[in-house]
Amino acid sequence: MKSKLMTAAECVSRIPDGASIALGGSLLRRQPMAFVHELVRQKRRDLALLTWATTLATDMLAAADAVRRWDGIYAGFFRLGLAPNFRRAVEAGKIETHDYSESAMVARFRAKAMGLEFLPNKALLGTGMEAKSPDEIKRIACPFTGRPVLALKAADADFTLLHGYVADEFGNVQWPVVRDSDDIDQMMASASRRLFVSVERIVPHSEIVKRPALTYIPHTLVEGIVHAPRGAHPTATDGFYDEDEPALERWLQAAREGGSAAWLDENIRPLADHGAYLESQGGEAALSRLDVSEREYA
Amino acid sequence: MDERMTATDYTTEELMIAAIAAELRDGELGFVGLGTAARAYTLAVGIPIAAARLAQMTHAPGFSIYWGNLLTPSLEGIPEAVLQDVYTRWPAAASPVDVGYKIDMVTSGRFDVSFESAPQVDRYGNLNITEIGTPGEPPKVRLVGCLAQTEHLGFIRRPIVVTDLSRRSFVERVDFVTSFGHARDGETRDGLGLSGPGPELCITDKAIFDFRTPDRSMRLRSVHPGSSVEEVFDLMSFRPVVEGEVPETSRPSDEIVRLIRHEIDPHGVLTARVS
Repeated sequence: MKSKLMTAAECVSRIPDGASIALGGSLLRRQPMAFVHELVRQKRRDLALLTWATTLATDMLAAADAVRRWDGIYAGFFRLGLAPNFRRAVEAGKIETHDYSESAMVARFRAKAMGLEFLPNKALLGTGMEAKSPDEIKRIACPFTGRPVLALKAADADFTLLHGYVADEFGNVQWPVVRDSDDIDQMMASASRRLFVSVERIVPHSEIVKRPALTYIPHTLVEGIVHAPRGAHPTATDGFYDEDEPALERWLQAAREGGSAAWLDENIRPLADHGAYLESQGGEAALSRLDVSEREYA
Repeated sequence: MDERMTATDYTTEELMIAAIAAELRDGELGFVGLGTAARAYTLAVGIPIAAARLAQMTHAPGFSIYWGNLLTPSLEGIPEAVLQDVYTRWPAAASPVDVGYKIDMVTSGRFDVSFESAPQVDRYGNLNITEIGTPGEPPKVRLVGCLAQTEHLGFIRRPIVVTDLSRRSFVERVDFVTSFGHARDGETRDGLGLSGPGPELCITDKAIFDFRTPDRSMRLRSVHPGSSVEEVFDLMSFRPVVEGEVPETSRPSDEIVRLIRHEIDPHGVLTARVS
């Protein structure tokens, strides 16, 4: 094993304009914001995003005019409403959407992880999704019953960006025993070509080997591991800190007034790195208020 | 409980909770989504969870739900505010390794009932939570996507639509089919090979509908006290099937209202009740 520690800027510098990127996390949890901020800073364009239930990551990239296409199960802000920048760009015809239900998106990532071109699925039969994505959804006859079934093309993202909990320098990423498992990050990692993971803590390898069953992403899959404490802010990392609702509301307020691009120019683009971002948010003194009371990792 | 004892003081949400609870049976498994903002949260999450708890407390102690990625979460003592750590530590029987496990349970037919809300519902129970507008063009209004609603209507035995009645929501034909109901453009569930029977009920703030007609189109089953068939028609963009005299929806009993207000949802989180 060799050290794969690098900065978010180094990881993102390897991603060209026009790339397809799978983004991890679900709803207001573990959105890979340290990477997203870097994509904004390095002004990536024409990206195709593949997501599960995405919120701020996709809305921020839409605000930065960085997205040409989105495939996923949900894009919004969970209990805080719709995603204003994403919605405007879709309604203006600037972002092409390819909608998938949960079993369909799971089938696409599993197909890639299994090395298959496609997996069959029945959930999308008769829905609008079938007609919307003819290049990825083909109706075929089941070879056993002759009944209709849909072949869903493998989700083949060029890059995969995830925010995780703890890892060693080699890229063995572990989850805590008590966590929220309502996402598909492990599946996205298994389906990845080039995987970058940011984590809350870098721990010694000697800690990882004590509980290898907690390693949900092994070093063999990882190209780069990034130490990004509070790397999902202002969304939550389960087991570490809650979502920062006032910060999310500020984003949404600016977004609804059409001010997100200016907000990014002022608050994200001038910052050198993730450390500078945390300082701009008040640093530990302010952000530690979001910490959960019981933590497995100090 | 004694259904003859009816409350004079109850809210529409409490009536809807009681009506849904009456549909839930002991030993069944129901799917509750995580819901989105404001009224959609009350309809998709708050009312179904209160109904599940009410069913557990009255006639169906073994009724379970799957909520988020939690199987059989405790429904005792709903907290006042829910940030991430509350979900992370929510007591439950199981939280499988990832959410693919849950969706496999749905597509393989392991769920009995589910709860749906949607900005558009049509005559045949097709639902749209994806986009409003003309297919092939950028949408007039982009909505949220699909989530697992498509699978609910595809594979769950008794999906229950929980939504408010309005002309804008109850349309002859949804703009986009997120979730296939009973029929669309000559396609049927049998023809497509969808294993679930399709939406069972539509429970609204004014009336309850089912699909027990020869062509599986929407039928008015009962009208809530205080509303009327005329008002219901006026709030729909299509005319549902009506057979004879339409009965009145049962009022919730005093005991049910007491359970909802004082034991199930004391902070008014689920029912958006201002105390």
